[in-house]
Amino acid sequence: MSALLEVHDVVRSFGGVRAVDGASLDVEAGSITSLIGPNGAGKSTLFNIVSGFLRAEAGTVTFEGRRIDRLPPHRIAQAGLVRTFQTARALARMTVLDNVVLAAPRQPGERLLRNVVGAGATRRREREVRLRAQELLALVRLDGHADELAATLSGGQRKLLDFARALMTEPRLVLLDEPMAGVSPVLRGELLEHVVSLREHHGVTVLLVEHDLEVVMGVSDRVVVMSDGAVIAAGPPDGVRSDARVVDAYLGVEA
Amino acid sequence: MSVLTSGEFWAFVGVVAGVYTILTLGLQIEFGYAGLLNFGHVAFMAVGSYTMAILVVKSGWSMWLAAPVAVLASSVAGVLLGLATLRLRADYFAIVTIALSEIVRYVATNEDRLTGGSQGTINLAGAEEASDYNGQWQRFQDWFQEALHLGSKDVAMLLLVWAAALVLTALVALSARTPWGRVLRAIREDEDAARSLGKNVFAYKLQALAFGSALAGIAGLFYAWQFAFFSPADFAPLLTFFAWMILILGGVGRAWAVPVGALVFGVIFAGTRFFEFAPFTWFDSAERAYLRLMVIGLVLIGLILFRPQGLLGRREELVLE
Repeated sequence: MSALLEVHDVVRSFGGVRAVDGASLDVEAGSITSLIGPNGAGKSTLFNIVSGFLRAEAGTVTFEGRRIDRLPPHRIAQAGLVRTFQTARALARMTVLDNVVLAAPRQPGERLLRNVVGAGATRRREREVRLRAQELLALVRLDGHADELAATLSGGQRKLLDFARALMTEPRLVLLDEPMAGVSPVLRGELLEHVVSLREHHGVTVLLVEHDLEVVMGVSDRVVVMSDGAVIAAGPPDGVRSDARVVDAYLGVEA
Repeated sequence: MSVLTSGEFWAFVGVVAGVYTILTLGLQIEFGYAGLLNFGHVAFMAVGSYTMAILVVKSGWSMWLAAPVAVLASSVAGVLLGLATLRLRADYFAIVTIALSEIVRYVATNEDRLTGGSQGTINLAGAEEASDYNGQWQRFQDWFQEALHLGSKDVAMLLLVWAAALVLTALVALSARTPWGRVLRAIREDEDAARSLGKNVFAYKLQALAFGSALAGIAGLFYAWQFAFFSPADFAPLLTFFAWMILILGGVGRAWAVPVGALVFGVIFAGTRFFEFAPFTWFDSAERAYLRLMVIGLVLIGLILFRPQGLLGRREELVLE
């Protein structure tokens, strides 16, 4: 059986430096997979390639059996693969509710003329979407802030908003870019719970990038380790932790 | 001071403010909603004015057909600009738009056979031929004046321009409240975030340019109708920056701020013409013309200092990051 996401031999260089150098990995449907590695291992570059924000020079990315490595970011998102950013990208001068409502797929009113011709369908969808957005905001406990501008949220709350927004796109795979970075320890626990509940309650597959192995140990089914642009190990968390190459990679960089 | 109390003069000021309203509405969509820094907006006004005049004078079209085609031409010109330059980063895009507006003006100045050259529309049909694109509009305006028993032609024009300006303002305000407008605002806030949520940023920017340029084209029509004559010099970059001043004066991101900003700008700009008291009387009239611009500049600086969100803008949107 083929995996939900297959990354095969992807290469990308920046001015002579091969940031990603023949990386391959699979993400099984229904799993929580963590992509870890020391700083500069190429995790973020690979992440940007998968989400369409960067072009790969070689290699393929397949999502649900379909090549996505030549698609622009918005088409990849529409296909059901949504990403978040390392620093939360709240749309500051829009309300918290609008931030989430925006992310809804299949809103005919996003075509200007469909607000005149077939305005009924636009209004119906808008009602649906607002209800759903309220639900998602309640889930991340931001419902009390729905009508405030997103700019008023704290950094941690913005991460939660990003999370709700990503869910609103009805994704099958969520890519989380260091969701724990810059988040207080209290909120970390909450975020991890949300990550787990993504799979449990929403049937969403998760690929998360993290540089700290310990953070993701508890929640990951599978850990993929990158170093120097290539995948050096993959497997269940416990096996990876004791892998000599992984220890080398981490110690080698930090020493 | 007598002119200051003449209705005719203020009707004229009102007409110009109405034209500026329509022009600036285009910027409101492009910058206020979509965040596009267009410094060449006047080019699309020029395309509107010239397309209409050329089709009427040279091709013998009815003005009522030429006018919508001219608006369409402005809109298409906006899309072409976007296709060529939207992949540039915001600041480079801004520079290219200024260049574009100057290219349009220089083409209009030098392509005598097409545009009448630097002499303007008076030369549109060649030196010997009379070239009048405005007959049908004048007849319509007369009819309108009769029908409403209006005192003067100027008042008729004032009502017509402002009817159009207010309808268009309402249209822009309504479109901003649709899901379409929401996507534009998201793009203004953070393009990459919008992309990551499945929005085709490029397509929306093109639509914003198409809409904004069409509005500039409509402003061009009214400008041409009001003056019955125009030349390339009328479409200097300064006009684009007047529109920017109105946008900032009124408030960025608020459709109804545009007519307010345009009226305030119009009154200041026209009113300063009659500063016939000290210290303005120390200068001759030519010097005073420059003083007007300085006064407007000072008003704008004062506004930025004390009310940076504009007359109708929301302050919280400006101070929050």
